[in-house]
Amino acid sequence: MEATNGAPQTKAGDWRSYERVLLPPVRDLHKIDVYEQHGGYEALREALTSDRWDPKSVTDEVKASGLRGRGGAGFPTGLKWSFMPPVDPDVPRFLCCNGDESEPGTFKDRQLMEYNPHLVFEGMLLACYAISAKAGYLYVRGEYADWISHMERELENAYAKGYVGENIMGSGFSCELIIHKGAGAYICGEESSLMESLEGKRAYPRIKPPFPAQRGIWGYPTTINNVETLACVPLILRRGGAWYAKIGAQRHPGPVLYGISGHVNRPGVYEYPTGMLISDLIYEVAGGMRGGKKLKAVVPGGSSTPILRADMIDGVTMDAETLRDAGSMMGTGGMLVMDEDTDIVSWLRRVTHFYHHESCGQCTPCREGAGWLENIVTRIDEGEGRLRDLDLLIDLCSQMEGRTVCALADAAAWPVRYTVTRFRDEFEARCRPSLVAAG
Amino acid sequence: MADFIKHPEVPLPDLDPAPSFSEEELVFTEEERAQIAEYVRRYPTADGAVMRALWLAQEKFGFLPPEVIRLVAETLGIPYAQAYGVATFYTQYYKQKKGRYVLDVCTSFSCQLCGGYDMLHYLEEQLGIQKGETTEDGLFTLQEVECLGACGSAPMLQVTNGPYVFNLTPEKLDALLEDLRAGKMPAFTSVTLPQDEDEMGGNRRSDAPQSAVYETPPVARTLE
Ligand SMILES: Cc1cc2nc3c(=O)[nH]c(=O)nc-3n(C[C@H](O)[C@H](O)[C@H](O)COP(=O)(O)O)c2cc1C
Ligand code: SF4
Ligand code: FES
Repeated sequence: MEATNGAPQTKAGDWRSYERVLLPPVRDLHKIDVYEQHGGYEALREALTSDRWDPKSVTDEVKASGLRGRGGAGFPTGLKWSFMPPVDPDVPRFLCCNGDESEPGTFKDRQLMEYNPHLVFEGMLLACYAISAKAGYLYVRGEYADWISHMERELENAYAKGYVGENIMGSGFSCELIIHKGAGAYICGEESSLMESLEGKRAYPRIKPPFPAQRGIWGYPTTINNVETLACVPLILRRGGAWYAKIGAQRHPGPVLYGISGHVNRPGVYEYPTGMLISDLIYEVAGGMRGGKKLKAVVPGGSSTPILRADMIDGVTMDAETLRDAGSMMGTGGMLVMDEDTDIVSWLRRVTHFYHHESCGQCTPCREGAGWLENIVTRIDEGEGRLRDLDLLIDLCSQMEGRTVCALADAAAWPVRYTVTRFRDEFEARCRPSLVAAG
Repeated sequence: MADFIKHPEVPLPDLDPAPSFSEEELVFTEEERAQIAEYVRRYPTADGAVMRALWLAQEKFGFLPPEVIRLVAETLGIPYAQAYGVATFYTQYYKQKKGRYVLDVCTSFSCQLCGGYDMLHYLEEQLGIQKGETTEDGLFTLQEVECLGACGSAPMLQVTNGPYVFNLTPEKLDALLEDLRAGKMPAFTSVTLPQDEDEMGGNRRSDAPQSAVYETPPVARTLE
């Protein structure tokens, strides 16, 4: 590990003097004229009207930036775009922007959509141009009703100014943007489920392959990216992929909206480079632990990312490689901080309840497994657990992981697997005392 | 026949309940039809508009009994079974009549650790109902929900699929109930980014009805 706790760290560079780019400090940036005054829609104009750019060179620039998806899996964005099949004039192509944001602990896309909606629209338009799509759907979770009306208002302004619609800025490129309102289902964040939902069906995830680039919405080639991912694209075109690639951690570069919640003095959404030390995020950025308590654990990137004990975060930075080596994942960058008084068993019980509730029920390992995880953790939490239940839980996780149509089963199993292994003593202590000795 | 087939553990829903709306009530106005037609234009096929149309129907009728779902299906020209399937997949579509105000308290993940259950139980006491129930006067339904995407402002709730109320305290809940009893919905609240507080001295929007900041969450007394 290069950086250590307390010592100046390198990956996020001199983060104290970092200047925000996704949410720069500009009053009323959500209004289209303010956005224009600050260089808004210039990248789009450049891409559509100058000879320097064509769909391929836009994709190449995004590849050069090293941008990786912010929706959870961290997949390289330019590479994903290049999976789209060659253009066939008879076959429509689509873009989906994933604003479902339902992974517990994640609340950054909402703030981005409120404070910089045009950056999201511009990113969607550039992506549509790069993959030659004629329409982009922005799927927003139904609970964000107020933010949906906010964005619909702003989208109308973008239409009125000719940035969206027919023959954009006289370039001959036409593209529609449509905001789709969900209605409360975590699973709709999963890409193929989102597409089923867009098509007006029950949102059961699809078996992959075929992947969205081959068969996406209505069976047509489709690319899907997260809101924050696409918001990076105009910045990359404006300032160059090389500029972007230098921000933060080398192999996972760029600005990140860190959503910090839990037992800290100052929770919130913060924009900093990737590669921030977890300890800096807690103690420097988020104002330290509430009430001066000791740190017990951190969930770095949303409920499905493996929990890290306080003694595991020394020198650990927020980027895919370092977090993987530390035994977790970057996920959505929504970090939950827990203090020493946290009852980890009761917390895990509530997490298992979430996944049981949200399983779509298509696959037996997920539908039944998520239910059994909840039942068993509940039994332990109630003081009725047996010591062997802990191994049973791990076994159950192994039966769920990688055996289902979508990754929700894995997302349900990981918190259990890692919380039980990393806090095993607390789970054992909760099991029935008379049975602990007997095993 | 095996016993469990005759006595299923899960009571089957009443698939054909007495209608809640009369034939005369079951119509969309000209404007509503035009709005639905506009939704349909956004998608390659009419199916895509079913979620928006169900939202529209729910706002008009308050909830989605089978006859309302049938009306939506007929308006869109899609099978009733498909519209019914969609309406029953998503939690925000109400299949049963709810109170005039639905209080969706988040008790998930971060909110659980920051007093979500304390707020839920406080409301249960104040309203004299348990979660999932509706007050006798039909004014309030209290529900426990999963993460609403506002974890930094825990504990929080949402009122009837609409405005969010952040950083709840018992006093704030008292005021909210009083306002709602007087027919006043909470205004949209823009949550100020901590970096905006530091760099811009407050909320960046000049058009937000009201703003709030991220606060230190309270100590949770119970986790269930
Ligand atoms: C169960 C499940 C839920 C997901 N929820 C979301 C979500 O709410 N928002 C999101 O952007 N991605 C979510 N994803 C990831 C998407 O499937 C997809 O990978 C992502 O939107 C791709 O965008 P990106 O490459 O820009 O990250 C979820 C995945 C799974 C398996
Ligand atoms: S893994 Fe779970 S959520 Fe995903 S398709 Fe299977 S049952 Fe549905
Ligand atoms: S956990 Fe309550 S809003 Fe996310």
